[in-house]
Amino acid sequence: MTDHSATDAGAERKGPIRRFLDMPPDTPAKTVFVAVALCLVASMVVSAAAVSLRPLQQENALRNRQVNILQVAGQYDPARDVAEAFAAFEPAVVELETGQISEALDPFTFDDRAAADDPELSVALENDPASIGRKARFATVYLLRDAAGAVERVVLPVHGYGLWSTLYGYVAVEASGNEIYGLQFYQHAETPGLGGEVDNPRWRAQWNGLSIYNEAGDVAITLARTPPPAGEEYRVDTLSGATLTARGVENLVRFWLGENGFEPFLANLRAGEI
Amino acid sequence: MAQTRRSLLVDPLVDNNPITLQVLGICSALAVTTSLKVSFVMALAVIFVISFSSMFISMLRHQIPSSIRIIVQMVIIASLVILVDQVLRAYAFEISQTLSVFVGLIITNCIVMGRAEAFAMKNPPVASFLDGMGNGLGYGLILMLVGFVRELFGAGSLFGIPVLPTVSNGGWYVPNGMMLLPPSAFFVIGLLIWAFRTWKPKQVEAREFRIQRVEAH
Amino acid sequence: MGLHRFFDRLEPHFTKGGRFERYFPIFEMVESLVYTPRTVTTAAPHARSYVDMKRIMSYVVVATIPAILFALYNTGLQTNLAIAQHGASGWRVWIIEALGIGFNPANPLANMVHGLLYFLPIYLTTLVVGGTWEVLFATIRRHEVNEGFLVTSMLYTLILPASTPLWQVALGISFGVVIGKEVFGGTGKNFLNPALVGRAFLYFAYPADMSGDTVWTPVDGFSGATALSVAASQGYEQLAAHGITWWDAFLGTMQGSLGETSALACLIGLAFLLLTKIANYRLVVGTMAGMIAFSALLNFIGSDTNPAFSMPWHWHLVTGGFAFGLAFMVTEPVSAAHTNVGRYIYGALIGVMVVMIRVINPAFPEGMMLAILFGNVFAPLIDYFVVQANIRRRARRA
Repeated sequence: MTDHSATDAGAERKGPIRRFLDMPPDTPAKTVFVAVALCLVASMVVSAAAVSLRPLQQENALRNRQVNILQVAGQYDPARDVAEAFAAFEPAVVELETGQISEALDPFTFDDRAAADDPELSVALENDPASIGRKARFATVYLLRDAAGAVERVVLPVHGYGLWSTLYGYVAVEASGNEIYGLQFYQHAETPGLGGEVDNPRWRAQWNGLSIYNEAGDVAITLARTPPPAGEEYRVDTLSGATLTARGVENLVRFWLGENGFEPFLANLRAGEI
Repeated sequence: MAQTRRSLLVDPLVDNNPITLQVLGICSALAVTTSLKVSFVMALAVIFVISFSSMFISMLRHQIPSSIRIIVQMVIIASLVILVDQVLRAYAFEISQTLSVFVGLIITNCIVMGRAEAFAMKNPPVASFLDGMGNGLGYGLILMLVGFVRELFGAGSLFGIPVLPTVSNGGWYVPNGMMLLPPSAFFVIGLLIWAFRTWKPKQVEAREFRIQRVEAH
Repeated sequence: MGLHRFFDRLEPHFTKGGRFERYFPIFEMVESLVYTPRTVTTAAPHARSYVDMKRIMSYVVVATIPAILFALYNTGLQTNLAIAQHGASGWRVWIIEALGIGFNPANPLANMVHGLLYFLPIYLTTLVVGGTWEVLFATIRRHEVNEGFLVTSMLYTLILPASTPLWQVALGISFGVVIGKEVFGGTGKNFLNPALVGRAFLYFAYPADMSGDTVWTPVDGFSGATALSVAASQGYEQLAAHGITWWDAFLGTMQGSLGETSALACLIGLAFLLLTKIANYRLVVGTMAGMIAFSALLNFIGSDTNPAFSMPWHWHLVTGGFAFGLAFMVTEPVSAAHTNVGRYIYGALIGVMVVMIRVINPAFPEGMMLAILFGNVFAPLIDYFVVQANIRRRARRA
């Protein structure tokens, strides 16, 4: 902004700012001044940007989650407004142990991930096949109701460790409480092309129509290398070349649909209590 | 300065490319080039940060005390990077998810600091802006080339549009999984350097030693 | 000698000023395959030996013969066994039926022929594609075409699964020759083993065709795990349940890449290389020591969740690519360490790494390929420190 050569003449008429700018930059006073001024300007610019853009960012994050829920439940239509389509879903916080919808917690403010770290709201896991350490005692589920108000599908949040990362996703279950509609991960860092194939629509399509529990009431879903024989209703092809991601997916799905996960809730759903 | 404005802008594209000649900024070039779309956004972000940081630093160059000049440069660069990150998160959410930490890591991109220290501290603002933009474009050019090769062979698509129908979608192309892994960018950049130096032999370094022919006695 | 006269008559066309001057490297390649190369060491500080590069390379090819023969037999055997269950199709079936040999797994000849029909296409593709690159670079750079390529192509073929599609074979050897060798200046300047570079490329690029249970025997619908992947996922004790005894693994009648299943065949080749002093015994000693020591350490530590910890060294020796890599790749002189002490360290590093990758890394059950490449990368560094230590020691003595 200033150019030294241009400021030599007329030193008498300079104001205080001008004089300050002409000080040699290496004096202590000037060093401190430059540092402080720069920090002030930079922090103002940064915080102005952060504050003014925050509503848009939060909307994006929310929309992203809603799109994922819509997709896993088979309700996503790119032509339709996301918020409008999502209105068909009713969020609810479920207490995992009892499988009942908790009235005390507000689904619009409840944060699943924060709850998993909150000692009040979570438990450390002894038996931890999904390698998640702590489990929140509550989880936000999304109920899709049909026109008559009956539950048509439920979308359950799941997560667990694969090979390199924790996979976060949703499982959509039919109102029967025993049939999967879909599985989708919205966040993971598995090897692209191997474990990353969990995102492949062809692989995901196999989950559609899978039965969860066998006659004895245990979770029977497995990922197997050999193609399932006809009539096999519990088995999904493994991911070729990604043994450990596949094992992680199998473990996390079995864990979250099992007795420590959503089994009580699904039992209530089956009984028509939700 | 003997350099014309045009040469400030054009030289870093091929003749003095920050990646292929100076081998700077490799780390982000490995990480973000799996698809063209992401490479493109990253290139834009870097061009923005590098041009404006060079310009601002050049404007302040007579006021910056030399004892804290690196910190001052970092503050300016970091503020611009955070600005870019915030804007991306607001207006290009999906891409910002894919870029994740790498936008933040523009701060550590040696090209940005390098231009600030080597050029902007000694030259007027307009020239610095052009120099920054030229280097950003040079970086972006390589990013796009690498992204083109990696996305085409790794996923059979360009900008997300299928070009080679892949086997998993019923086509014939078997995607090359290595192209999706970071090391492949090393190979692609290496081959690019090879191609550039074959095209412009001036870029080849002088030999460090010569093999002497020894005659038998 | 008629042949010699033939070469002499041809030579003027290829030397300077001749019509085919550009193609001199090709002429030289063919001529020196039969006769002594024209550039021989004459100057003072160099030792002269009858074992030149060409002889070394031909000896290595000779050493792979047991592994090749066993590759033919075992590939045919596994395929014929699988065909008995799953049925057969394809052009190979047509040829075998035309010859009237049949698919009886008990008939060694039938196995050899069937194996040959898998081995040959891969080998020929490797030779043609890799050879084209080799000649191309030699012609442009006016180098001699080196017999090293014959070794590379043979080793590369032997470490591929029999079901590898030929276009992948071509792509892999192209990558191996160009990136693994030529960009660094050709044979003698490559710090990585080109055959392994090609294999590693395929492994990362097309994992579905290079690993898993369905790739080892080229019959549709067949699935059979390698001994190593069984040991990694269920523990080596379970191998017996899969019908694999230690002797099976040693002889090599099991699933695996073409030439690497038989530890016996590889060790015969190794013995030949050691006797002819082409392989340096220090490399072998180092690798074995590293492997035995580290697997013993893991046996001692033990693990409740990872059954591979308990796998003893004699199983590591006979499973996967260990024996093959030990015989033909660890001992490869160019990419190995060049100092004597360095050779022990280099070998030990590979021995430790192979066990570590096999047992502790969850993603790759086979570690030999990666361990050797890792060793290749470290070899110059090892040499540097050995030389520096030597300089310091001498400086102290003075």
